This record gives sequence, C-alpha cells and structure tokens, in this order.
Amino acid sequence: MIRTQGLTKIFHDNRGNEIRAVDDISFSSEPGLVYGLLGPNGAGKTTTLRILSTALRPTSGTALVNGVDVTTDPQKVRMQIGFLSWTTGLYGRLSPREMVTYFGRLYGMTKDQIDRRIDEIFDMLDMKQFAGTRNDNLSTGMKQKASIARSVVHDPPVMIFDEPTTGLDVMSSRTIVKFIRHCADQGKTVIFSTHTMSEAVRLCDQIGIIHRGRLYAEGTPNDLLNKTGMNNLEDAFVKIVGE
Amino acid sequence: MNLSRISVIFYKELIDTLRDRRTLIFMLLVPIVAIPLLIIGMTALVVSQLSGLEAERAEIVLVGKEYLPQAALRLLEENKETTIRSVEAARLNEMLDSLRMGTIQAVVSIPEMFDKSIQQEAGSSIEIHVDRAEVKSKVAVSRVQEALSEFRDEVIAARLSERGIPGDILTPFEVNVTNVATPRKMAGSEFGAFLPYLIIIMCFMGAMYPAIDLAAGEKERGTLETLLVSPATREEIVLGKYLVIVVAGLVTALLSIGSLGVSLGYLVDASTPGAENLMSVRFDVSSVIVALLTLLPLAGLFAGVLISVSVFARSFKEAQSYVTALNMVVILPAFVSMLPGVDPNYLTALIPVVNASLILRDAVAGTTEWSYVALALIVNSACAGLALMFATAWFRKESIVFRT
Repeated sequence: MIRTQGLTKIFHDNRGNEIRAVDDISFSSEPGLVYGLLGPNGAGKTTTLRILSTALRPTSGTALVNGVDVTTDPQKVRMQIGFLSWTTGLYGRLSPREMVTYFGRLYGMTKDQIDRRIDEIFDMLDMKQFAGTRNDNLSTGMKQKASIARSVVHDPPVMIFDEPTTGLDVMSSRTIVKFIRHCADQGKTVIFSTHTMSEAVRLCDQIGIIHRGRLYAEGTPNDLLNKTGMNNLEDAFVKIVGE
Repeated sequence: MNLSRISVIFYKELIDTLRDRRTLIFMLLVPIVAIPLLIIGMTALVVSQLSGLEAERAEIVLVGKEYLPQAALRLLEENKETTIRSVEAARLNEMLDSLRMGTIQAVVSIPEMFDKSIQQEAGSSIEIHVDRAEVKSKVAVSRVQEALSEFRDEVIAARLSERGIPGDILTPFEVNVTNVATPRKMAGSEFGAFLPYLIIIMCFMGAMYPAIDLAAGEKERGTLETLLVSPATREEIVLGKYLVIVVAGLVTALLSIGSLGVSLGYLVDASTPGAENLMSVRFDVSSVIVALLTLLPLAGLFAGVLISVSVFARSFKEAQSYVTALNMVVILPAFVSMLPGVDPNYLTALIPVVNASLILRDAVAGTTEWSYVALALIVNSACAGLALMFATAWFRKESIVFRT
C-alpha cells in the first residue's frame, strides 16, 4: 500500500529560484494493483518516486509506504521497497550472483536465505547460464534481468519502477513489463512511471496524470477516457492538462 | 550504525577495487616494478654522468703562452681533466666566441712580458674567461686557478728564500675537517629528501582511483541510487568506502617502502660512488613503526578529501580533473622534504603532509624525534577525522549526491 498526502518537493536552481518539482500530490495505491504515473519528461515523476524510495526527503507533505512514514522512518521504508530505474546500472566487475548477494546482505538476509532466494529468482528469470559472468560482459537483456533480480532479492511488498522501459529494446522491454505484472499478481503494491501512453494503458490498473509537478487526474484507463470523452489516452491526456 | 553492514560494504568494495585494472597498476605495478627500475635508473645515470665527465676532458686555450714561465705551464699541464692548447693573441676574440658556443671551456690570457714582471717582482695579472652557466667550464676554471695559485705559492717561496726567510712561515697552521656523519645519515641527507616525497605521492596515487571509482564512478554507473535506497545508512556507506580507500593508499605506500628497501639493499651496485651511504639505509623496526604512525592518518586524510571531491563530481571524468588539481596541492607540501633548512618544529608539525614529509626524511636518516611524531599523529588524525565528517555530510546532502 502506498499513500501520499500533499507531497511537495521544492528545489532551488543556481540563481536561488524556487522550482516546485512536486507540488501537493496526493494519491493512493493498493496491493495487487499497478499504479502508473503518466506524464511527459520533467513532470515530477522521478522526484515523486525518489521521495517514495527515501532517496529524497519531501519539503512538505508525507507518504506512507506499506504503512511506514517516509519522513519519520526512512530506514524501515527501505526494507519494504524494491527500486528499479532506467538509469540504474550494475557493478561491472561483479557477477549477477555476487551483486545480488551483496544487496541481500545489506537487507540483513542470512547466507542460506540469499542462496535460496537466488535459486528461485534466477530460475524464474532464466539467469542460471550467466549467474557467474561479470556484468560488464553481459548483453543488454541479461543486464536487465540482473537488475530485476537485484531489486527483488529481499522479496519486498512494494515495488517502485522509474521509467523502467526507457531506452530498452523490444525484448528487454517485454521482460520488464511481464515482471511488473508478475509482481502485482503476487499481491505486491506496484507503482511505476512512464511517458508512453500505450504502455500505461496496457499495464496499469490505475493511472495518475502528472504534469508540471501536479496531479491532474486519477482513475482507471477507462475512467479517464470516459471523463474526457476521448477514445485514446493521448487525447485524454492533452485534454486533462488543458493544452 | 551497523558494523556488519559496514563490513559487507567494505568487503564488496575491496573486491570490486581489486578487480579494477587502473587501481592495480597504481597499487601493485608502480611500487613493485617501477620503483626498482627508478632506483636502478637513477644510480646508472649518476654513474654515467660521473664517468662521462672524466672521459671528456675540458679544453683550455692559452693566449700568450710564450710569456708563461715553464714551471707554471708544467703545473697547468699536470692536470688530467684538462687539455691545454695555445693560440696567438690575434685569435682571442675568435676563442671567446668558441667559449660562448661551448666548444672550449676556458680562455686564459697571459699579459705581455708576464715572465719578466715576475722576475722583476713587478705586479701583473692573468685574465681567465669562463662561462659560469656551464658546469664543465666552471670546473675547468677552478682547475686553472688551483694550478696558478700553486705556482704563486712557489714564486712566493722562492722570493722568501732569496731573502733568507724559511718557507713554512706561510703556513702558520693547517685546518683538517673530519666528517662525523654515519653513512646512513649521509644517505639521509642525500636521498632522505627524495624518499618521503616518493612515498607520500605513492600513498595519494594509490588512494586516487579507488576514491574516484567508489563515489563518482557509482554515480556515473547509476548504482549509487540503489545503494542509497538500501537499508545501509549514509554513514555506513561512507565508512565502508572510506576504509577501502585508506587501505589502498596505505598498502601502496607500504609496498613502495618495501620495494625501496629491497631495491636499495640488493639492486644498487656497491662500487657506485656514494653507494655505501645508500646501502646503509635500512628500514628497521623503529622506522617501519614511524612510517605506519605517519602514513595511516595521512592515508585517512587523503581518503577523506578524495571521497568528498569524488562524490561532488558529476562523473568519473569530472572527478579525475578535480583530483589532478588536488594532486598539485599534495605534491607541493610533500616537496618540502627536498628543501634545505626546513626543520621539524612546532609550526611544521601543525601542517599536514609537510609534517609527514619531514618525519619520513628524518626516519631515513635514523634520527626520529618521537615527540614530533606524536604531535604530527594527533594533527593528521584530527584532519583525517574532519575530512571524514565532511565526506559524510556531503553524502547526506541531496544536492551533492544527486548532482548530475
């Protein structure tokens, strides 16, 4: 479960001007559902997700992740979440197995727990062939799988994906989309951001339209179409943000 | 703070660092291969320069040879380092040009009737032309001066005996100088200047690449963000990384010392001039303790500053350019050990790097002053602590960590 209340993040540029990257955003998302933040580049999606993942602290407002407040107990929030962003890289000189083990240890798992979990995940993602190969020598698709494996080693109840398919080819993209669906089917709370309308329609149970730091509308893809009287999400989006 | 998480981070970063070729080059290859080569090269250079100077005789041109008394000419020609050539007075200007060009090393011009003036006990003067910018010319001229002053002594002795005065009236006493410095101290004064400089720079170089890779490198790869949202706190992340950088700097410096010790002990040819001094440099237990006490906080200071700079940088490249600038800041104070007349005192003890440089110089000469070592240890540890606190503060700052 994720619940945000008046979430606001203000940055200052070099001249000291205020930039409201996230401006009074409130929404909620339930376990077993995929919540999509849809908006163009610079809308505030990444900042919102970074606040939810405790990388950034909100200027005001708050968010509950699986019932834990990100402002008062970020340490506990980190145990509840798996995080994957399109900018996420890998440790090139480590193998997928070493890297996943490293993060498992950081989450306080025992060696046995990690080994069992790695067996399970690497089996599911079909990674056994290259589990011991250094990440630098993997193909893009293999790297993507290694990243996914890293993000779920501790089997978190909440998954946060920041534009996970940006810059990926069709096959790697399909792997990710399938994985996101799988997470929701397992009963995890899933939030992900995208600027691709078709992806949002295909994947999301709930969509939040975000633009210039504000949440403009919220609902199922069908709700949004009905509300605006449009027959595709792109037109609906333009109508909602009023441009 | 969770110690087991710090050790998880430390262990992972250590493995990651040891698999990095750039780090290994600085940490292992330079100390183990480059330093012995440097020592062999340096001694070979000294030897070849010394023997080169002997092989190539300085050429001295005499103008007005016919006026020079035989005794004086014989003294000039006795010297094996120089050859004497005579030209007529008309070619003086041509010879001065040759001197400026460096084809000859000195021009000695004897005035007309010089021999007659000596006989008649009238005053006279000899003119010597030298190119003081050339070492060979300076050496040649001092040989000429030695020969001429010996001739002058002979003339004086002859005049005195003509007047019935004994010759030893000229030397009422003699001055004898005895060097009390041990060979090790001699080596300390000759090489002590250079070794600390090398060791401090190696300590910095060894820490450099791990520091760049572990902060700016993580930013660039996009792995830092995943680490920041893991349960590891900022302090744990900084400490784990910091310790790896300290270890890298310290290991590099200690390997360099070991390599220097082995090179000086076994690779230097004992027949080289000055080699006995050099070979007396021994890294005994007390100098190793001094080195550890000095280098540990120094590596801590370097690591703290380097990781701060590295986490500030947007990319690996940006970090590299900052670190290059920082390198200059370290080289200058490390260089202090090469300056004459800079002594360990309470003022220099307060300046990080400078104090280490002076302690290591004295350690090479075997003259450690423990109170100075203790004071420098406190100062450098305090600075290392401050640098670490600063680095932690920057890892906590969103505007630094997400500065991309």
